Amino acid sequence: MNIRRKKVTEWIAMQAAAAMPKDKHEIVEMRAYPVREPASGRSYTIVRLRTQSGLTGWGEAARVSPSDVERARSRIVGRPATAYGVTSTDTPLDGAINCAMHDITGKAVSAPVYRVLGGPTRFKARALAPLSGGTDSELSASLNTLAKAGFQAFDVPIPGFNWRNQGQAFDKAARARMDGLRSGAPQSANFVLRGAGALTAGDAAAVASSLERFHLLWFDEPCPVTNLRTIKKIAEETVTPLGFGREIASGSVFQDLLREGVVDILRPSIQRDGITRIRRIAAMAETYYVAVAPNHDGGPIATAAAIQLAASLPNFFIQSVPWPEDERDRKMRAELVSEPIETVRDGFLSVPATPGLGITVNESALEKYKETAA
Amino acid sequence: MKRRHFLGGALAAGTLNPRAKAADLCGCSLFAQAAATPGNPDWDPISSGVKITGMKVFGVSLTSDSDRPYVFVKLETNKGVVGWGEGTLEGKAAAVMACVEDFREFLIGKDPMQVEHHWQSMYVHSFYRAGPVIGSAISGIDQALWDIRGKVLGMPVYKLLGGPSDPRGVRGYYHVNAATKEQLQQVRESAGRLGVTCIKGGIPAYYEWIETHQKIDEAVRRLQLLREGLGPDIDIGVDFHAKTSPSVAAILVKEVEPLKLLFIEEPCPPENVAAMARIARRSTTPIATGERLVAHYGCRELIEMGVIDILQTDINHVGGITALWKVGQMAAFSGVSMAPHACEGPIGGLATVHVDAATPNFLVQEICSGVEAQPKDKVWEEWLGFPAMRMVNGRFPLFDKPGLGFDLDEKALAKYPFGGTKPMARVFHTDGSVAEW
Repeated sequence: MNIRRKKVTEWIAMQAAAAMPKDKHEIVEMRAYPVREPASGRSYTIVRLRTQSGLTGWGEAARVSPSDVERARSRIVGRPATAYGVTSTDTPLDGAINCAMHDITGKAVSAPVYRVLGGPTRFKARALAPLSGGTDSELSASLNTLAKAGFQAFDVPIPGFNWRNQGQAFDKAARARMDGLRSGAPQSANFVLRGAGALTAGDAAAVASSLERFHLLWFDEPCPVTNLRTIKKIAEETVTPLGFGREIASGSVFQDLLREGVVDILRPSIQRDGITRIRRIAAMAETYYVAVAPNHDGGPIATAAAIQLAASLPNFFIQSVPWPEDERDRKMRAELVSEPIETVRDGFLSVPATPGLGITVNESALEKYKETAA
Repeated sequence: MKRRHFLGGALAAGTLNPRAKAADLCGCSLFAQAAATPGNPDWDPISSGVKITGMKVFGVSLTSDSDRPYVFVKLETNKGVVGWGEGTLEGKAAAVMACVEDFREFLIGKDPMQVEHHWQSMYVHSFYRAGPVIGSAISGIDQALWDIRGKVLGMPVYKLLGGPSDPRGVRGYYHVNAATKEQLQQVRESAGRLGVTCIKGGIPAYYEWIETHQKIDEAVRRLQLLREGLGPDIDIGVDFHAKTSPSVAAILVKEVEPLKLLFIEEPCPPENVAAMARIARRSTTPIATGERLVAHYGCRELIEMGVIDILQTDINHVGGITALWKVGQMAAFSGVSMAPHACEGPIGGLATVHVDAATPNFLVQEICSGVEAQPKDKVWEEWLGFPAMRMVNGRFPLFDKPGLGFDLDEKALAKYPFGGTKPMARVFHTDGSVAEW
């Protein structure tokens, strides 16, 4: 090695050493705020990260235990907030932490998260509202409220049942529910039927077939994902699209479903999986010509993250938004996050232009709605 | 088709391409909603304000007879920020340059920050999807878009990708082309001095469909020599370069199991995944392949079969940073590691290091150079002001500079004008029939 080259090489080593280890966006603090909606009782944990550089990032997890929070804190403090692609705490807070790291990165470069990730890929994001209620009439009332709020796609729970493999009676009840809702809904309405993993393969296949011409957006989680053969039976007997993901914590399970050709829409969870893991799953899904529609049963911070994700994915289809029908819950969500990000117009959420997740979290509201131990 | 859709389609087609006469339209479905392209005011509130204002395509031949001139793409913006990318496709330089030019009208005026969106549009709207020429053109443009985005946001690309896994840099390997034990021992010494932990060699001949025991024994002997000369501590990869049929490769791969190679590469050509799988299933030696695959779509079958160990997609053909990242993420679901191919110019080389640094299942990065620097390394240093793609302590270092992390004055390229496309090597068997090389 000649002397000049040696010098250059040493210079590089020095530059690299000087540039890397101390990251100005190193995470120095993590806080978790468990909150609870007064009417629905829906609870979630809001996570706040702070960096050396003074930036704050927000994320949201499902309800987590204090020991998970401790474990996550000990593993995340000291990491650079920008290293969201290679950081895991191996706790249920990973999704929330990942969203908060994206929030910080966006703020660090004064850009919305979707711009950090190469978007926007769309200028608005289609929204899906889960209907609440147990009876057909309650669901119908819920649909009216949500349609007035701007939604055009509705997620309908399948009728409850008392025994398994009940055949025609069950099938008829499911059909009647869907027909009833459609006839009372605006013309623009579309529907997802939610099985919540509760059906037998026989019941699920029967309903999927008999609703084929109803043209559901998809039949969500007709049965548990634990048995691929079972799902195959449903997928092979019908062209009704099938969605899975609520209970799938590992990307490899999505890979199995895709490889077997039994899934039409992937439903990872924004709270559990965060932005990065859903982007990974979505990249794989692209090659099967399948889209993602993230599950979301939490608060407005996860909604904000989901909108950023939607605007950075090519194969996003629709975002579930648990829009509360009770005034008190809506008030709480509006107090938590100042921006009206959950506002839906003509069936779509809008994509914000402000840095990070595009939200300002009101810290006094976190205290106000803090969930105290029962 | 409903009448109103049909009428809407005719109108939309007019909006999309004002020059298209009715006679040009095939009657394929272009519907009204197709008019919602960028340029639609709906995008304005979320646009970055940066616009692509110019594009230059460079063919760069290091020697006048080079069969692999570099293809560089430079994108210019209204903010003065420029981005560089590489779409070098060996033996097909002029075709890629023309293909990049085909995207000019698409690119000018676009917001360069929307690289994911533009990647989709370039790939999907090319209609025939991407083979190596379109793939390499998209790769060059994609890298330049990432470079711009990093510079505008003030962040190195590996951080935009959520890295780095290891701030010390990215582990790499050089090539060795030595026939004697003494030469190999010298390489071992140099590698030790430089902290290089991995070296790749090749197999010594061209192979027919079925091979003689002499040629098989000679190949095995040469690979044993590689291990003996380089010693037990260096990881060794061996590139079969698809010179072998699956039948011959399977024998060799089995024979060299005791050498504990890091991987053998491209034991057969890339089109037939089942043939590759047949080789992989019959040996414990890890199998690497993928340098000729385009887009994550092109890797899907190989990944879902879960038979290979290492993917080597090339950032200059696979579809740039966007596609290499996606391939890496997908590969992880099958427990496949990433060892990207890099045998072209310095821009693609540096771009791939950024992706490596943000890929948790990354294994090792290639550079087609030796433990001792080669003439092209000097040229690269002359262009970029630092010895791009030379390792420090066995790793390609990471810098905190925005974008891809270098400045390049296009005048520096003028010394190496485009010498035109030259065919790659043509190799024949002793009976005159075509051989793989």
